Amino acid sequence: MNYRKNKFLKESFLNLFLSKLFRLNWVIVFCVFLLCLIGVAFLYSAAGGQWNPWAKSHLYRSIIGIGLMLLIALLPPKFYNNLSISCFILGLLSLLFVKFFGQGSVQRWISIGGFNFQPSEPIKLALILVLAKYFDNISKIDLQKVSTFLLPIIFILLPGIFVVTQPDLGTGLAIILLGIAILFYIGIPLKIVFLSFIVVISCVPIIWNQLYEYQKNRILVFLNPQSDSLGSGYQIIQSKIAIGSGGLFGKGYLLGSQSRLNYLPEKHTDFVFTLISEEMGFLGSLILIFLFCFLIALIMRISFIVDTVFAKIVVFGVGFLIFLYVALNIGMVCGLLPVVGAPLPLISHGGTSLITVLIGIGLVLSMSVHNKRI
Amino acid sequence: MKSKNKKLLDQKISRRFLFLFLIKGIAIGAISWRLFDLQLIENQKYKKLSDGNQFDYLIIPPERGRILDRQNRLLAGNMDGFSLVLKWNKKINVDVILKNTLSIISINKKDIKNFNLQIKTMKNNYPKEVLITKNLSQKDVSRLAVRRINFPEIFFSMSKNRIYPQGNIVAHIIGYTGIFSKTDVKNGNVISVPGLDIGKRGLEKYFDLQLRGMFGRKRNEVTSKGYIIDSQIHETTISGKDLQVSLDMRLQAFAFQRLEQGNYNLISTDDKSIKKQLTIQKNNKYLDKKYVYTNKKNRIVSSESGSIIVMDIDNGEILCSVSTPSFNPNIFSNGLDIEEWNKLRNNKKSPLLNRSMSGLYSPGSTIKMAVALAGLEAGVIDYKTNHFCSGKKEFGNNDFHCWAKNGHGNVSLMQAIEQSCDVFFYEIGLKIGIDRIAEMLKKLGLGQYSNIEINDKAKGVVPNLDWKFKRDGIKWQLGETLNASIGQGFILSTPLQLVTMVSRIANGKVSVEPSLLLKKTNRKFDLLNINYDHIKFIKKSMEQVVVGKKGTARNYKIGLKNNEMAGKTGTVQVVGISDLEREKGLLKNEDRPWKKRDHALFVGYAPVKKPKYAICVVVEHGGSGSSVAAPIARDVLKNILNV
Repeated sequence: MNYRKNKFLKESFLNLFLSKLFRLNWVIVFCVFLLCLIGVAFLYSAAGGQWNPWAKSHLYRSIIGIGLMLLIALLPPKFYNNLSISCFILGLLSLLFVKFFGQGSVQRWISIGGFNFQPSEPIKLALILVLAKYFDNISKIDLQKVSTFLLPIIFILLPGIFVVTQPDLGTGLAIILLGIAILFYIGIPLKIVFLSFIVVISCVPIIWNQLYEYQKNRILVFLNPQSDSLGSGYQIIQSKIAIGSGGLFGKGYLLGSQSRLNYLPEKHTDFVFTLISEEMGFLGSLILIFLFCFLIALIMRISFIVDTVFAKIVVFGVGFLIFLYVALNIGMVCGLLPVVGAPLPLISHGGTSLITVLIGIGLVLSMSVHNKRI
Repeated sequence: MKSKNKKLLDQKISRRFLFLFLIKGIAIGAISWRLFDLQLIENQKYKKLSDGNQFDYLIIPPERGRILDRQNRLLAGNMDGFSLVLKWNKKINVDVILKNTLSIISINKKDIKNFNLQIKTMKNNYPKEVLITKNLSQKDVSRLAVRRINFPEIFFSMSKNRIYPQGNIVAHIIGYTGIFSKTDVKNGNVISVPGLDIGKRGLEKYFDLQLRGMFGRKRNEVTSKGYIIDSQIHETTISGKDLQVSLDMRLQAFAFQRLEQGNYNLISTDDKSIKKQLTIQKNNKYLDKKYVYTNKKNRIVSSESGSIIVMDIDNGEILCSVSTPSFNPNIFSNGLDIEEWNKLRNNKKSPLLNRSMSGLYSPGSTIKMAVALAGLEAGVIDYKTNHFCSGKKEFGNNDFHCWAKNGHGNVSLMQAIEQSCDVFFYEIGLKIGIDRIAEMLKKLGLGQYSNIEINDKAKGVVPNLDWKFKRDGIKWQLGETLNASIGQGFILSTPLQLVTMVSRIANGKVSVEPSLLLKKTNRKFDLLNINYDHIKFIKKSMEQVVVGKKGTARNYKIGLKNNEMAGKTGTVQVVGISDLEREKGLLKNEDRPWKKRDHALFVGYAPVKKPKYAICVVVEHGGSGSSVAAPIARDVLKNILNV
């Protein structure tokens, strides 16, 4: 690890670099690359068979993102361990910044040098890192004590509440869910789980009152989509029609009538799965879901292999994050969940989420590359 | 300590991981099941919905089949018309456009009302085409076309309008079309397509499905914003089949005019005395007429109302079926004005009534042949039966009068038919009995719906013992048999039934059924089952009506040597005549109010040697059968036979 002190710095650096590349989990890299290409293909279809405006930029972003991912994979975990707290603080600050100086009526974006940047995405990674760092020196803390979990819960709730009040209910809940999953994973006593569950349930009416009108609408419409078939329910009805009409084999690539005739809302971002389902049918959808499951399984396998708690939590966190994205997104477009606004990782058009996921996978690769046990 | 702690943690993590793994599995399973449900189980439902999104189907009405007469003359056809259509979208101001349009052309109120209704009930804001009116004249089109630049939202489209070139001459048989009503949709006659015309009456109604053809559909591919990006014919329209009917338009037109004229004179409205009368009367009825009818005193009279039917006695084809007064069916094609409709409906002479098939009249003396046949068949009378006519028959407390005040003296059966002696028929009627008479009348086609291809037809009444008891709960009176024997009383029949009766007698072998279709093949009829000798005798008697010295129609021969027409006159009392009136002396028919005048009837066939055509003429309140109906029948038969 202390390669900087190596006498034959130059030579051994190259050696180290090559050995790291060799130890890289190329199956994951291939999987990621494949998913990005699927994204490009269907963004091409979403634009009615054109590179612009989505497919081209998605391709460029994917290439840059994968490069970034590989770079991150080669850096040692110690580096991220040190960075984690500053990352988290930076993330919180950017969320605050968005809160006060954000773009548009819904404050989610920061504009930096012409790039629109959505801080609610990378804050998830920062949360994973900061939780991992907190639990890393596990030997010093007592997991049975309730007070142990006080700080992590604050870590989770701070960004969660910021994002919910942006307002972005979906991402906010995803952050909180992610945090809870990590706490659960690390072994939070079950009595706390039950206690907090009761607290949350009793808070539902209060939270309900705090929600914006459109958020309430979305949930109501989710419970009964037909109640507003031209308003909020329109999206989900049209999405279900598109998926349902796909059948076993789909309507064929570039031939989805729902998307071609603009019945699908947001077909390039949150509803891209609908488009794939319509054009590729049940089989295509299953293959895609399988691909995601495969990727998640590969990541989860690494969480067993790595030895440090920091690495375990980071790997598990990223894996669970991808799972959350996939489950929320597909559950949403096929009408199982309310429309909360969750992108399909690696496929939906949207720079921040794509880069976030790729960085996360980069972290996972880094943990596996630098694992001592191998 | 450290490693132990770590080991415990690892165990815990593994357990927790497994639990989370299970949750993930459940989530993925739920999603997969959902997709399976949507895409495979409910696939058809969503496919339909998706198609509904993708495609907008426009129904294209087929062109309605034509109706032709036996010589292929057009009775009902289609004329190209222009429709005015508004290309509607959210931004335009409909009221202003409509106002500006109305300043240039006039659109009838009903269309404007419909149009406004369409605009109001529009479901979404997508642009679409809305029909303003279907009835645009050539003039309107050119007026609007010149100012086209001011009306970018309005354009013309071609449409088909039903047209009846023969006007009122065959109106009752052809019928007319109109916009379908809610009851039509409820009865399943028609699917609800805006602008679709369906047959409302006559042949248009009876053969509606055949004439209508099959709808085609145009399939537009529309985006979610309603823009049409592709359009193609999805199902081709199949035009309605043409219908050829047995009517002969030349004969029909002649008969129509002849019936209207009756015994009046036809005078042009340019005539001085007529002009004077018209200005004095200020009668709007004759304003647009080129000619009027006048009586002997040169007074304008309204045309006769009644019916003429001519039927081929071999195959039952109806060659002409006239009913006056009539109406112009073309007024229904362009959306009927409610005022005009009410005027037609409330007209006292009921121009909408098809007198030939729905008009019910007492047949009067025209059924005397049937009564005689009933007697001959039953064997209660024979050719030599004699009765003395003193001008009346006393029966019970009443006197039953013969039309001849002083009686016919001693008459045989043939003479009784020739001179239409009522007393003779009173006598034999009593012998035969009402049930036998009714049976014969029914055999000859009375008192039942015929199979003719018209929906609206009357059944008529042929009374018998049961009928009376069922209707009134009272026993049949013998006096009523007397009335029935001369075709008065309860008996009611339509001209169609009378012409059927004559056809069957003239044919003598089969019971001919009337039909309006031109039959290419020979039709098969049931046997008539009447002794042909009896028929021959009756036919001879009918011939005597025309050629006999005392025949009631002796003045109206068609002029063929040894090949005359044969027939029977009938004069039907419309109101009862009291004894007091009779003693005072009867008023002449012309002097009575129109409604109280007798109906004049004539049934007959020609030529006698080889019968071919049967005819029935009814002139409502026309006077006597021999002086009014017989000459009309003669002229019509002359026209057919080209004499």
